[in-house]
Amino acid sequence: MIDTVAAVGSAPRRRLGEASLLAAAGWAFIIFITTYMLIPVLVTAVMSFNSAAMVRFPLSGFSLRWYAGFLASPLWMDALWNSIVVALGTTVVSASAGILAAWAFSRYDLPFKNLLYLLIMMPLFLPGVVLGLGLAITFGGVQIAGVPLYGSRFLVVLGHSLWAMPLVFLLMEATFRTVDKRIVEASGDLGAGPVRTFFEIVLPMVSTGVFSSMLFALVISLNEFMMALFLTNRDTQTLPVLMWLSLRSAGTPNLAVAAVVLAVTVFASLTLIALWHIRSLRRA
Amino acid sequence: MIADVSGHRPALHLENVRRRYGGIVAVRSLNLSLAQGEFLTFLGPSGSGKTTTLRMIGGFEQPDAGSIWIKGERVDHLPPHRRDIATIFQAGALFPHKTVAENIAYGLRMRGLQKPEITARVREVLAVVRLSGFEERYPNQLSGGQKQRVALARSMAVRPAILLFDEPLSALDLSLRLQLRSEIKRLHEEHGFSAIYVTHDQSEAMALSSRIVIMNRGGIEQVDTPLGISRAPASEFVYNFIGESCCMPLVASGGEVRDRQGGAIDLKLHTPPREGEWRLYLRPSRIKMAAAAEACENSLEVQVGFVEFLGESYRYHLRAGALEFFCDNPAPHMPRSEIA
Repeated sequence: MIDTVAAVGSAPRRRLGEASLLAAAGWAFIIFITTYMLIPVLVTAVMSFNSAAMVRFPLSGFSLRWYAGFLASPLWMDALWNSIVVALGTTVVSASAGILAAWAFSRYDLPFKNLLYLLIMMPLFLPGVVLGLGLAITFGGVQIAGVPLYGSRFLVVLGHSLWAMPLVFLLMEATFRTVDKRIVEASGDLGAGPVRTFFEIVLPMVSTGVFSSMLFALVISLNEFMMALFLTNRDTQTLPVLMWLSLRSAGTPNLAVAAVVLAVTVFASLTLIALWHIRSLRRA
Repeated sequence: MIADVSGHRPALHLENVRRRYGGIVAVRSLNLSLAQGEFLTFLGPSGSGKTTTLRMIGGFEQPDAGSIWIKGERVDHLPPHRRDIATIFQAGALFPHKTVAENIAYGLRMRGLQKPEITARVREVLAVVRLSGFEERYPNQLSGGQKQRVALARSMAVRPAILLFDEPLSALDLSLRLQLRSEIKRLHEEHGFSAIYVTHDQSEAMALSSRIVIMNRGGIEQVDTPLGISRAPASEFVYNFIGESCCMPLVASGGEVRDRQGGAIDLKLHTPPREGEWRLYLRPSRIKMAAAAEACENSLEVQVGFVEFLGESYRYHLRAGALEFFCDNPAPHMPRSEIA
């Protein structure tokens, strides 16, 4: 009895020491990881504001001349435009295909469901080189209404969707599983057909999932380099492709500007996802 | 075409409806008719097939065999949205992103009603369930009982041939459950809709129903009015399922009745038991103690095991020879007494 009382007196102090040590270690780890992750982005960002004509330390002075140069260059602006068009196309294609496939998966008993699941997920695990090469060989000589498919932005959209669609599918399949089956049944019960139910009841209920999976598709396409390298020509090259090519010829600070533009777009997308998510949590 | 003798079409008619899941029979060959304006309750333990039957009527599941008719029209091949029914689900199943008014208007829009008519109907049913002024609320701003009343309003608004209730009160706490139960009863008496109600709560079934269907293991045990079921249970299962009962295993031989250990029991019955083993069931409320027992036909000297206080009465756990049973008495008693 007395022993227990004594133990109660000393135990919390010992635990407190251990806990604060752990907390300190935790913070050190978090700061290290965060810094490590931010370094590449921060260094490129700093470089883009450097006045020197080479991407190199030491810094010589603050300047916006490379931003002005980037905006004035038709070459860079075309590449940015290509990136945006391809990313939007990928978002539309992969979201519509992925969301519908996920709904079918969560709602209906399909034959060979597990096999189908593997098939849908497979491209996500294939290297971009393989997909890019495969698409380039397959569609190398194909023309639609006299326009060659190879080199077109449409083919890049299809390529990027090979990665974005499985991701959308994965996210939405998990989201659809959280939908209360009885609410879907209630809609049919009140006289709405399956299509009506999907668009008026199901989709609004999973709007957060739809929104974030679309942004993920957008980000994947913006970042993708390998397939775009295989599938584009001078007219349709995306920003990462142009960056790669210009790094080979000359390391101008335009590169750093392009990197910052890409990074900012990605950060903005991720922030939007987070904000939307918080909003939906508050509403629930 | 299904019609009764007088030419009236029943609101609902089930003919040889069956359903199995793999090797398990969920519903075996069900035959049933629901008259216009009748309130019919499926009562049974879980796994008795009552919910499966309701879901087949609603169109959420397909019967393996048999036919389902709503107002004389065969519907068992139709999906839910083509059937003239509306279901009140367990937890309401309101559309979370729509307001109360939009929830109620949904079914009306699907039936192609015009806007002014929809607005009028929404206001009307909200008044019926006493939620006027709640039009612009979202479901997450409502209490459990209010949600269920909106669900009720949403289903009533479309004026279906049959309202289906899928254990609508089971997610609510006791006082709310009683309150809503009376509310459903009032609405049925005032509006006279035809209803199928599924529950495992016998007091709900007793209070609400015109007729009760007692289900067990996928089949019907008894169909009768609440009074008929409590007065004349058709089987041992029904007797046990409805109300509390004491079971006394007995052996009858040579005109004498004994307990399992051979102790003789002086039992006077209207119909003398045949030879063999029997189980005699008694309602604990029909067993009287001490002085009140003197007027009874059968009496028994017992020992009191232990006593539970139930709030309004005392429950005496009794023993007589090999028999163990209990009875309820409003007043505390002497430890030894005679019962009948």
